[in-house]
Parts: sequence; C-alpha cells; structure tokens
Amino acid sequence: MWIIVTHRDYRMPCYSTKGGFLQEFYTEDDNGKKVFKYGVQLVALAHREQVSLFVELDDVSEEDPELVESICENAKRYTALFADAVHELLPEYKEKDTVAKDSLDVYIEHRLMIEQRGRDPAETRDPRNQYPPELMRRFELYFKPPTTTKPKVVRDVKADTIGKLVSVRGIVTRATEVKPMMAVATYTCDQCGAETYQPIQSPSFMPLIMCPSQECVTNKSGGRLYLQTRGSKFVKFQELRIQEHSDQVPVGNIPRSMSVYARGENTRLAQPGDHVAITGIFLPLLRTGFRQAVQGLLSETYLEAHSITLMNKTEDDELGSEELSDEELRSITEEGFYEKLAGSIAPEIYGHEDVKKALLLLLVGGVEQAPKGMKIRGNINICLMGDPGVAKSQLLSYIDRLAPRSQYTTGRGSSGVGLTAAVMRDPVTGEMTLEGGALVLADQGICCIDEFDKMADADRTAIHEVMEQQTISIAKAGIMTSLNARCSILAAANPAYGRYNPRKSIEQNIQLPAALLSRFDLLWLIQDKPDADSDLRLAQHITYVHQHCRQPPTHFTPIDMKLMRRYISLCKRKQPVVPESLADYITAAYVEMRKEARVSKDTTFTSARTLLSILRLSTALARLRMLEVVEKEDVNEAMRLMEMSKDSLQADKSSTTRTQRPSDVIFSLVRELATEGVAGRTGAGGVVRMAEAEQRCVSRGFTPAQFEEALEEYEELNVWQINQARSRITFV
Amino acid sequence: MSSAHDWINNPLDIVDGMFAAAQTELASGWELKVVEFFKDKLKEDTLAAVPSLNDIPLHYLKPNSLVKFRCLIQDMFDPEFYMGTYETVDLSTKAKVSRCGRYKDVTECGVDLNSRNTVTAERQTFYCVPIPGENTWVKESYASYSQARVVPSTSYVPTRQKRSYEEDEDDMDDMDYQPQKQREPNGPQNPAEQHGNGECKRQETEAPSNQKTSASHLDLNFPLPGEKGPSCLVKVYEDWESFKVNDTLEVYGILSVSPALSALADEKDVSSSMLDPTEYMETAEEQRVHRPPASLVPRLHMLYARPLPHNNPLLPLTTLEDNSAFLSSTLGDMMCVRSELLAYFTHILLGDALAAEYLILHLISDVYSRRDALPLGKFTLNISGCPTVASYTQRFYQIIQQLVPSSYYLAMSLQNMNQMRLIPKKDYVANRLVSGALQLARNTLLFLDETQLEQGQLDTTGVRNVTALGNVISWQKVDYDFNYHQMEFPCNINVLITSEGRSLLPSDCQIHLQSQVSQAQVEEYLSSIHVHPQVSSQLNKFRIYLSMARQLDYSISNEMTKSVEDDFVDMRKDDPESVSAEDLHRLLVVARLLSLSLGQASLCRDTWLRAKHIDALRRSRTERHKSVNGNEP
Repeated sequence: MWIIVTHRDYRMPCYSTKGGFLQEFYTEDDNGKKVFKYGVQLVALAHREQVSLFVELDDVSEEDPELVESICENAKRYTALFADAVHELLPEYKEKDTVAKDSLDVYIEHRLMIEQRGRDPAETRDPRNQYPPELMRRFELYFKPPTTTKPKVVRDVKADTIGKLVSVRGIVTRATEVKPMMAVATYTCDQCGAETYQPIQSPSFMPLIMCPSQECVTNKSGGRLYLQTRGSKFVKFQELRIQEHSDQVPVGNIPRSMSVYARGENTRLAQPGDHVAITGIFLPLLRTGFRQAVQGLLSETYLEAHSITLMNKTEDDELGSEELSDEELRSITEEGFYEKLAGSIAPEIYGHEDVKKALLLLLVGGVEQAPKGMKIRGNINICLMGDPGVAKSQLLSYIDRLAPRSQYTTGRGSSGVGLTAAVMRDPVTGEMTLEGGALVLADQGICCIDEFDKMADADRTAIHEVMEQQTISIAKAGIMTSLNARCSILAAANPAYGRYNPRKSIEQNIQLPAALLSRFDLLWLIQDKPDADSDLRLAQHITYVHQHCRQPPTHFTPIDMKLMRRYISLCKRKQPVVPESLADYITAAYVEMRKEARVSKDTTFTSARTLLSILRLSTALARLRMLEVVEKEDVNEAMRLMEMSKDSLQADKSSTTRTQRPSDVIFSLVRELATEGVAGRTGAGGVVRMAEAEQRCVSRGFTPAQFEEALEEYEELNVWQINQARSRITFV
Repeated sequence: MSSAHDWINNPLDIVDGMFAAAQTELASGWELKVVEFFKDKLKEDTLAAVPSLNDIPLHYLKPNSLVKFRCLIQDMFDPEFYMGTYETVDLSTKAKVSRCGRYKDVTECGVDLNSRNTVTAERQTFYCVPIPGENTWVKESYASYSQARVVPSTSYVPTRQKRSYEEDEDDMDDMDYQPQKQREPNGPQNPAEQHGNGECKRQETEAPSNQKTSASHLDLNFPLPGEKGPSCLVKVYEDWESFKVNDTLEVYGILSVSPALSALADEKDVSSSMLDPTEYMETAEEQRVHRPPASLVPRLHMLYARPLPHNNPLLPLTTLEDNSAFLSSTLGDMMCVRSELLAYFTHILLGDALAAEYLILHLISDVYSRRDALPLGKFTLNISGCPTVASYTQRFYQIIQQLVPSSYYLAMSLQNMNQMRLIPKKDYVANRLVSGALQLARNTLLFLDETQLEQGQLDTTGVRNVTALGNVISWQKVDYDFNYHQMEFPCNINVLITSEGRSLLPSDCQIHLQSQVSQAQVEEYLSSIHVHPQVSSQLNKFRIYLSMARQLDYSISNEMTKSVEDDFVDMRKDDPESVSAEDLHRLLVVARLLSLSLGQASLCRDTWLRAKHIDALRRSRTERHKSVNGNEP
C-alpha cells in the first residue's frame, strides 16, 4: 500500500528528529532535575518491563510542530517509523540482562545468537529469511493526540478522515472476545530446515508453500514449508463497536456506530456499556480474493485504536471538559443572574419563581459535611405538593432532563426492583445478584419521584434511610450490604382530598408520616389561587403560545440547557464554608424561628433539621455565586425561601381572616363523633348521644353554654334534630 | 412508451452518459446535473408513469429501472464508503476505462484496485418500510392512479418472460391468479436457492403453504404486526441530513436487485473465518439485516425524494397555498360536507351529536408546533360509555378506517399490553432498530380500544407499554430504547380511546357517549349502518374534507387574543374552580380545530363562543355522569 518513492520522503526529514527526540526529550521536575521521559521508558522497554510506549504529540510539538501535523495526517506510516527508531535505540538502553518472559523471548534470543555466530556479515540473505522486525519487536508504539484536538463525533468521521489520527467518543455497544491474531507466520522447511517468515498485515493471508531458501532453490529439492505455531508471533486482538452518545445525535436521527480494532495492550479495556474516548487511525478494511471482487464498490472502515480511555459517565465528561469561556461566564454572571438562572428552568411553565429558585439550588446542591466521621448530607430534598394540573410533573420532567444524572420514576412505577434494590436470582447461573433501583441508579444525581404519596410502603421506609444517611442497606437472601444512594430527592405529591385543604395539617393532606416529611428541606405547595391580575398574565401567556407557536418574549432569553449544565457542574466544584462570624447570626435566627413556631400554631415542623436545611441552602447559594465563603445575603435568601415555602403551606391569608366561631367548631366536633360512630357500629350512622357530645366539647375547652347555643343554631338550620328527651342528636 | 420513457426504463444509461461526458470535458458537478435532470423529468404529469413498488410485485419490475416507493424511514444504518469513480482494465486490450459507481451496487469486471483515479465517496442507507397502518382504500386508490397510465406491456414483459422460462407450469398458474396488487409476503427462503437467480426466489415466497413456518427467518421489521409489503434499503447520495427517522417519503430511485448482493451475504465460508478474526464481528444476524437477499429487500438508489405531508391520494401533494384552485373549489363545499359528515358520525355514535362534533375535531387535529416539551395542537379524545355489545368498537373502527389514510386498531387487552412491543428497541446484535407499534408516521390514527381490557396483572412490559402510551398522549413522544440509554423521538399520533368508564390513560378531552339507542338494540342499529354503505363518492368527499381541514392555515388576531384573555379572567372571577390553565389550553385547541373544521383561517368571536359552549356541554355531561355514578349503591 505504501509506495517506496514516497517512503524516502517520509524518512528524510524525520529520521534524525525522532530518534533524537526520544533520546533527548526531557522535562524538568520540581528540583530542576532533568527527567528524560522517554529515556526512562525506553529502558523499561528494553528490559521487557513495559510493553506499550505512548508518544505524546504534545511533547513532539515542542520540538517540531510541523511534524505533529504530518503525524496526524499519516499516522499509520509514522507509527512504523517511530517503531523502527525505537527498535534501533533499544539495545543502547539495555542495562542488564533480562530473564526471558515467554517462549517467544527465548526463541528470539536463540535466533539472534545463531545469527551472530554463524553468519558472514558480508553475505546478503534472502529478505524473507531475515528476521522481520515485527517478529523481534516486543513493544507496541502508540500516539497520544495533542490536547488541543477536539474529540470528534462519530457522524463527523467521514471519508476525508481516512488515514488520519482521530479521537472519538462513544458508548461501547459490543466487544468481541480477545483472540490471538497472527502478526508474523514462521515456517520451517522439511528438507533443508531453514526458517521462513511472513509478516501479515491484512486480516487474512495466503500461506507459503515452497521453501525459498538458497539451498532448496538451487537443489530444486522442492522443500515444503510447515507453519510453526510456537515460532510465530501472535498479538491480542479485539473488536469493539462504539455508538454515539445520545446528546450528539441530531433530533430524529438514529445514533451512528463505528468499528474499532484494538490490538495488544489496548484489548480488554472496555466492556459493553462503557463510555470511552478512543484515539486511533481511521482506515479502510481491505478484503482480498473473492470477497473483494464481490464486495465491489463498498469498502468497510474501522478505527485502529491507539488509546482507549474509559470515562465514568459523570457530568463533566458528557459536557465536554472545556472550561466555560469568559464570554459564556459573563453572560451568566451578569446582573440578576440568580433570577435568570431560575427563570431558565422550565421556561414554558409560567410563574412559580420561588419554586424554580429552590429547584436551581437542588441542582447545585449544598456542601456535604463530615465532621468526625458523622456525615451530614449536602443534597437538598424538595417535595412539591399541589392541586392536580399545576405542572408539577412538568417541572419534574424538566429537572430530569436538565440534570446530568437523574432517574425519573413514579411512586407506582413498580418493577420488581422498585426504588431501592432487589436481590434477583440470575436465570443462567442461579447466583443471587443485586439489582439497583432508581435511588441507587441516581447515586450522585437527582431522583425525581412523581406520585410520591402513592408509593408502596416498603419503598417508603427505604426512603427514610436514603434521605438522611444517603445509603440503602440490604439484608436479603444472605446478602448484607449497604449501597450508596447519594442523591437528591425531588418528589411530587397530590393532596389526599383532591385539592389541598389548608385547614388540615400536611400529614393529613398528603398522608405521609411526619418523619418522612421532615426530611425534606423544602416542602412546596403549588396552589391554583384565583387572582385577576395573575390570571390575566397567565391567559396572555397561554394565548400567546397558541397564537405565535412560541414563548412570549421575556426580559431575558432562557439560558441554553447545555450551558446551564456546564455552569452547574462548575459551581459544584466549589466548597464554600460558613465563616465564624455568621455562626451567631444563624443560631440567633434559628432560635427566633423556634420561638415563632411555638407561638403560632404551626402545621410544619421547625427542628434541628431546619437548621441544617438553612445551612445547606446557603452553601448552595454561595456555590451558585462561585464564592468560597457563605455570606449573610445567602443566609437571608435561604431563610426567605424557607419562609416562602412555609407560607405556601399556610392557609390562605385572605380566607382565614374569618376566625372560626365556637359553634362552628362544636359542629365539626359533633360531626366527627357521628362519623366515628358509623365506623364503630354500623347502622347507627348520624346519631350521637348528647352526653357524649357535650363531654367531648367540654374537654376541648368550650363552655356548656356555648354547646347549647351551637345545638340550637344548627337545629334552626335544619342540619340536625334533637329528640324530645334531649338525649340524642340525629343528623339529617 | 418508447424513447420518451428511456429515463424510466434505463436511467443508468443516462447517468453513465452524463458521467462519460463529464470525464471527457473534465467538468465537475455532473452529479448535480443528474439529479437536476431527473427532477426536471419528474413533473406532476409524469410521476404516475413511474411504476411503484407499493403496487407492483417486485418480480414484475425491471431491474435497474426507475421506480417509486411510498415509505417511512424506519431505521438509518451507518454510512457506506463506495468507489464513486474507478477504473477497469480490459483484459485483452489493457485499455483503462473510467467507470462510475454512483447508483450501483456491483462493479464491472476487472477493477483496477491500485488505480490512482479511484475516488471514494460516501452514501447513506435508510431502511424503509411501507407507511405503517396505511388503509386499503389509500393503497387501492394510489394503485389505480398509476396503473391507469402505465401500459403494462413495455416495462413488465421482459421479466415476465424470463420468469416463465425458469418456472414450471404450476407456479406460473399460481401467479396468474394472484391479483397484481398483492404484496409479497415476507417469507420463506430456501438457503440453497439464495445463490441462485433473484427471480427464482420470488417464486418461493409466493408459495403460501410454508409461509408460517419460516416467516421469522427474515423479519422485515414492520412497526405493526401483520403488515405486508416490500421493505427497501434506500441508498441516499445527497443531503441525507435532511431526512429523519419516521419521515414519510416518496422515493424515486433506481431499483437494484442484483443476485450478487445475496451471494455476498452467503459467501461467508466457515474455514476462512477461522483464520480471520475480524470476520466474527459481523454476526450472522447483522449480515441478515444489513444485507438481506436483494430479492426480498431490494435496494433503491435514490435520485429524488418527495416528502409526503400526507398520504391521502385524493389530495394534491403540493401545499395548499400553491394549489389555490383546489383549495377554493373544496372550501366552498366545506360547510356542506361538514354537516353531512356530522350527520354520518352522529348516526354511528348512536345519535350523539356532541360526540360526533368532537370526533370531527379529533380527526383533524395535528401537532402543529412544539415548544420545549410541550406539543401544541394535540387533541386526544376519550369516548367513554361505549356499549360493549355487538363489538361496537370494532365496527366503529372499521368505519373510521374508511375515512382516514392510516390508522391502527390496538385492543388494550391484557395479553396485548403484556406481550406487544410498542417501543422500538435497538438490537445491538443485529445492529438495527427493532420496530414497535408506536413507530408510526405523522397523523396516523391510533385507536385504543379499552373496552377489551379485563382484570388481571400487568407485568413489567405491560407497565412500560402503558407508560409509553401515556407519554404519547401527554407529550407526543416515544422514548426509544437504546439499551444503554433512551432517546426521545417526537411523534405526531392522533390517539382515540374508547372505553366504558373514564380511561386509565390520560386524555385531553373526555366525552361520555349519550346513546339514543338502548343496549339491546345496538346490534340491530349497527347492522342497519352496514346495510347502507356510503357511496364511494360521498366517502371520498369526507376523506378530502378531513385531510384538508388539517392542512389549512390558522391564526389568531390580536383583538381576539385580548378578548379571550378577558374572558378567561372573567370566568376565573366567577368561579375559580371551574377553569384552570389547562382548560384554557384545551379551549384554545378546541377553538382552533373548530375554526379549521368550518374552513375559517382565523378565530372569530362566534367560533370562540361556540367552542366554549360545546366544552361547557361536554363538561356538564361528564359531571352529571359522575354524580349519577356517585349515587349508585
């Protein structure tokens, strides 16, 4: 394939350079001492302690930037050239005798000895009887691309990239077993005993049959060649198939895939499902013989891997590791960026600014603290409650899409695994295996749980542990373990009575135990309150969408989802602390809140958990502003959000101005009694014994006079009837 | 059908001619010229002259002729590299000739592989299937259009004669009985025959006896079970970025059924692959999918493709603005047709005029825009209170089927829910997207029959299927399963749910059927509908009406917007419980659809009031129904 004429052109400019480069390249370490990066490796190679040598093109570019360009353009050729150079250099670097590691080492040693002993140096030999360099080489040479090149998307690797060094990213969808592939075939002749070698480049080869040695040819003895497995060189070979990441695929397209051939040390690095970055040479696959003829017009391509790096699927890998440019940063951090960021969450949902702010903080997360082994979670949990049809699910699904790692599930979404984890019996091996549920899969991310109130009881208990300890303990079928579930929980729940009843407590409203509710940092009630002004704005919003098929213009353009993700991941790197000076302020505020809670009949709880929540929220706010220290404003904003969330739960201010009259309360007490009666004794529904009722009311602090008054008032209203003896109340 | 139609019978000659001309003149851009030439030829009047793969069995078509194919892009394969230009060497004269590899699958003999003039080019392969759920009347009507103009003699005769040489008498007879429109069953393959001529295999597939046993041998991957028709590997040379999965197209291209393609797939020799580890990579399944025998899955080299905004043969394909004559002629009739259709539907819906009104609105609904996750214009209708006697829902579907171009009836029985594949899934072994019933073309009517649901346990697949249906209804999207992750594909499916009570699936609008006919009489009543089938001209009017109303333009004026807003605020003032934001969304959609159904291009006060009125009627009915149920012991 490579033509001799051009061959020389390649060799001339670079031969001196790269030999010299490998020998002379050094970096200076901290003490100013020269470290010969490649020199050290060459020694290791010579002693068979290292197999693969990575030539970093960044280093090469320090010496000769043009060379890097030509290497990228024609990588296959330069791999061979560099390998030749290394091969020539190696004997110089050999400092001690090495112990043969495998049979091929012994074999090579033998051959070399024979050659040195018996040959006349002037004698030229048939090239095929010479030891081919491929056989003698026990190292592999790879290039590492310059850090400046950007990884390509699989669909951008086109015909014009053939022969070049490219980097691609993707997910491994298939990996074959590792198989030996013949690199050099060695034959011996049955007549003269001479050895013949055949380097193999293509996937298939035609075995040699006749002995080409001097002896056989002159004697015409017709020596036959036999393949020697032990003398041949095999390399490990594995084929991978990679597929584009889902975010690299244009809408409405199917992800593309690509074959990757990995040899030698690059095998067994990736398994199906792994996210990888692969650098390699994009090459056409040459078929020979009949296949080629029949294949005709088509040529298959593959990527010959030079380096395969596994990426754990964390946020920064997906987002591209490049830092935010100054311009992007400026666009985010300009005036009012907090409102802007919050507004960019689900821009299609109108209003709910504070809820969106809370969700933004949930995405960023607070700082995790671990003083003296005690772990205090940094993740923020939020529960959204609300009347049906107030876009709770939409908010959830938006967060699910925005968060780099998230799981969306419903309380009812019941696979066998549910939310936590299940012990399953493997159908093939019969072994017990653990299978993670949504909470485990959302480790380090966000778990969105819709229909939280309708969750199975078993999962609900497991959630207690996740929400505070951030682990899941399993003790099933002999497996006892604890799985990490460091996730934020974003829950959405519907009120038990269809609509939220502000006069009842939260537990009654969504029928969740207080223990669980207190684990949410923020509980938010999204209510559909009528208000002419906001109604009009809502109507304008909706009609605009229908009229113009797009969002109404706002005072800002929502920030692009990708940019937002990157900004959030940047924020997450900050670890702000609460300064000493603020500690007093926070404690004072907390004590104040406790006092307030005690005075006013509060439907929520103010506990030590509240204090932690405030700390979490304020650290999250500091992170959002990319600061190292929490400021007073952060604490204030955190407390404001807390206050707003509590406010949303309080009964509607306007309607509660009407204080309940004693008789109304007495009426409800009696009615409660009546329904209890129904539950207790069937058939006696709606009948309450007078004495019982009076006793109940008096025990609640009402005077008998008030009770009498209420009785009369409601009798007039014809709600209930009192019998002549005044011993029974019957509901109409 | 003489020289004028050479470009149909022998398009490759033209391609080669242009290529040769370009070679001598050293001019570039001949590829574009070819495309232009065919685009120029394919005008409205000549389109029908091109034989269609949809109507004519493959073996009647001449290889390497120009054909058309009405299809849906089901899957996209990886791009292929091929030799765009190559040189051949004549063995006797040693003369080198440049050849063109575009629009071809097989090279000429004697390729000079080391030639420096070889140009590698790239093309994209799409796996296309006939539009899923396309109703018979559409197929028939398309077929009648094209056959009316194609004189069968010229294009079919050569192949037919060739066949008769190869086939014995019985098979021949068999063939002649088959109506020409009949599709190829996807089917049986005798491995021994695969090496042979493509034509001979055709015969095999026609034999109905062993169809069932080996039907799974080659799964043609149709989205809907029980579909028939050819599927096709379409090779795209230009502009493939503009196509998307699930697009509907009419592809004009050069048919390639060379038997060499099948030979390639079979050639795999066990002994050779032992020494060649790379051979293992392409599994047998993948081979079968990506290189199926050309006789079953022909290759089509695309010259030109028309995107289909709809697949109603009665309507011109061009947009309505460009076809003002047609528009004005039908617009005049619209009101009249609407009232007839309303009467017809009222009759079918057991005398319920309101439900009939809503059915019309549903049938012309269309997702006209999307904003982030929110699809605008979707209008899922849930008709509750359907009688369960006399398989009413099935009959109802059969009638609707006569009116819409494509539709699919999905009985929501437990078995179906637990076993059917609704969500397409990527099969990494065969490297293809295994289709599911929710991979549908735009504006396909999905008829969910919930009356078929019985009590029982939904398993994991069942839960996922129900979730998927819910997603389609609420977001108009399907999350295709790519094993390691999911990918969201937007869709545009009209979902109509019939149920006894309120459906378990969400819906935009629920209407409870008020039957004027007692349960016992339904049977009798229904049979009377079938006794008087609508005359086809009447049906055609309805069909045109429904497809047309969907295509009309629509706008809301600023004044109207203002009054709608005020209206909303007033309604909220009176009774805040009565209207929510969602209700306003729905009202606006109803108003839009109502305007369109009346042939009005913009919303007017009357229509808005009417929309409010019918919505109020519907709601009061639902509430009344609720309270009736509540009082029941």
